[in-house]
Amino acid sequence: MFSEAFVEADGFSIRYLSAGEGEPLVCVHGAGGLRISRALELLSARHKVYALELPGFGQSAVNDRTADTEEMARTVAAFAAAVGLAKFNLWGNSFGAKIALQLTVQNPESVRTLILVSPAAIRTTPRPVQGEPTPELLYAQPEKHTIAPVSAEVSAKQRALVQRLSGPPRDEKFEASIKGLEVPTLVLFGTRDRLTPPENGRIYRQLMPKSSLMMIYDAAHAVDADRPEAVCEVVGDYIERHDSFLVTRQNGMIHP
Amino acid sequence: MKVALFCNTRYAGDAPKGVWPVPGHTYMPEVATRSMDRTLEQIKLGDEVGFDWLTVAEHHFAPFSMSPNPNVLAGALTQVVKRAKIALLGPDVPVLNPVRVAEEIAMLDTISDGRIIAGLMRGTPNEYVTYNINPAESRERFQEAVQLIRMCWTEPQPFGWQGRYYQHRSISIWPRPVQQPHPPIYMSAATPESGEFAAQNRLGIGFAFTTVQIAAVAADYYRKQCELNGWVPTPDQVIYRLGMHCTEDDEEGIEDLIEAGGGQPAVGLTMTNKALESAVAKSGYYGRDIDKQRARLQSRGEVRDRIEKGQVLVGTPKTIIAQIRRIKDILGCGVLDLSIGAQMGEKTLRSIEMFGKKVIPEIKAL
Repeated sequence: MFSEAFVEADGFSIRYLSAGEGEPLVCVHGAGGLRISRALELLSARHKVYALELPGFGQSAVNDRTADTEEMARTVAAFAAAVGLAKFNLWGNSFGAKIALQLTVQNPESVRTLILVSPAAIRTTPRPVQGEPTPELLYAQPEKHTIAPVSAEVSAKQRALVQRLSGPPRDEKFEASIKGLEVPTLVLFGTRDRLTPPENGRIYRQLMPKSSLMMIYDAAHAVDADRPEAVCEVVGDYIERHDSFLVTRQNGMIHP
Repeated sequence: MKVALFCNTRYAGDAPKGVWPVPGHTYMPEVATRSMDRTLEQIKLGDEVGFDWLTVAEHHFAPFSMSPNPNVLAGALTQVVKRAKIALLGPDVPVLNPVRVAEEIAMLDTISDGRIIAGLMRGTPNEYVTYNINPAESRERFQEAVQLIRMCWTEPQPFGWQGRYYQHRSISIWPRPVQQPHPPIYMSAATPESGEFAAQNRLGIGFAFTTVQIAAVAADYYRKQCELNGWVPTPDQVIYRLGMHCTEDDEEGIEDLIEAGGGQPAVGLTMTNKALESAVAKSGYYGRDIDKQRARLQSRGEVRDRIEKGQVLVGTPKTIIAQIRRIKDILGCGVLDLSIGAQMGEKTLRSIEMFGKKVIPEIKAL
């Protein structure tokens, strides 16, 4: 069960949800705000999950101060320090992936593994919708999910902040900064994602040849909600074993 | 109209009938070797006399078609077939490793310099016994495998696959296909579920072990689904398989087929083992159209009835051209895949040659 707490960091009072014990996993949410997906619930069985709410999202005050994702990355690093983490695993979802990447570039020694979930840090196609994405865009099986309604006011505030922080679809300076990143990085894409198409995965892999690209079959943008067991298995294995996760430990014997 | 020739590597000696798996106690290696030679000879002739494609298929544990891995046979064909395309119709992907299938087809496309047609099949129900795969998973495995195979062919960077049935941590195949983005993909579309999937994924379709009337209903459904998905398939994206025996005289053709066993009621591999077929049916393998699908696989009738149902082309070139026109009118298919079911030695070779020389030039423009 996730419990709510607040911590002072980088001049903000930051709300976060945490659960579990074990290797710490700091999660940076997407443009829709803080949500605990089923995959994060499953991961909290083996890891200590910290899901923070970025300043300016949810019920927090309007954030006019943070200028770009680089600054937001410094705020997230301050959050991790404030909850007592010197070294942690970092999860960045969609819009949050760029922040997670920048935090990793700024503090490579703090990040044990980086998990990019449907990252929107590099965008090659125009967004199919303006405003909040529809359930059909988020989920492969929208009928299986309900999204907690976000008030129009909160939605507008979040969208304005995302718009201001996101930067250009192809950000040359940013892409140059992540080139050859050495921190073990796992990049997840859903095969049915229309917001961040899975073909984008190859760009991350080209920029970061040491990263591993993983397709989550039959998942749309919200891969961690669509295929939670599949996401939890591969992320958990990667956090535990880094690149050794390539070698299966699955038992093939049927009968002794 | 394009025409394919399907020579199904039938064992040319005595073998038990009416059972599956077929026991091997009468098996003679020299007969099997001769059977393979005969198949290659017919294929070579088909290439020389103008067939557009030469077809291979996958079947297991039976003398009916000694081709458990069609890709191995296709490898041999790349060295025999100089002109035509080689149609894999095809590997039974739910019982195989999809990455291996992608690799083998890419390898064949490379060896043949881009002459491969990639039919990806679910296989007949009995094939689920072959490698001990639950037929209840057949359709989901198939759909996932097709998408994984396509990604193997098109993704330039190493990628992992976290599927429902297939899990790979890192894939990057070599060689890769010559045809870009990949060889044309076909699948069977006998069931409505298959028609929907083919339409959603812009794949061609094929029909076998059916009648032209039943296939026409399924093809119409597929075309409607394509329309819903915003595209129109070309005639070449519908293949129809049937038997063929071309002769100097119409009656002679029918008599040849009866003599060779084609006049006897016969069933496919699945229906020879009732317990197996029944268990597969209970698993949900056939999908929502189960009764029609099972009825379709029941015994074939006598030769004249089979002509009427579009299951066999038989007679003189002129007669056969008329039969083809009728099938084209009913089904709108752009490719006929002609099966040499009954082997008749010299008569079969003459039939292939006559079809190539006298029928193919007349139907090209159809």
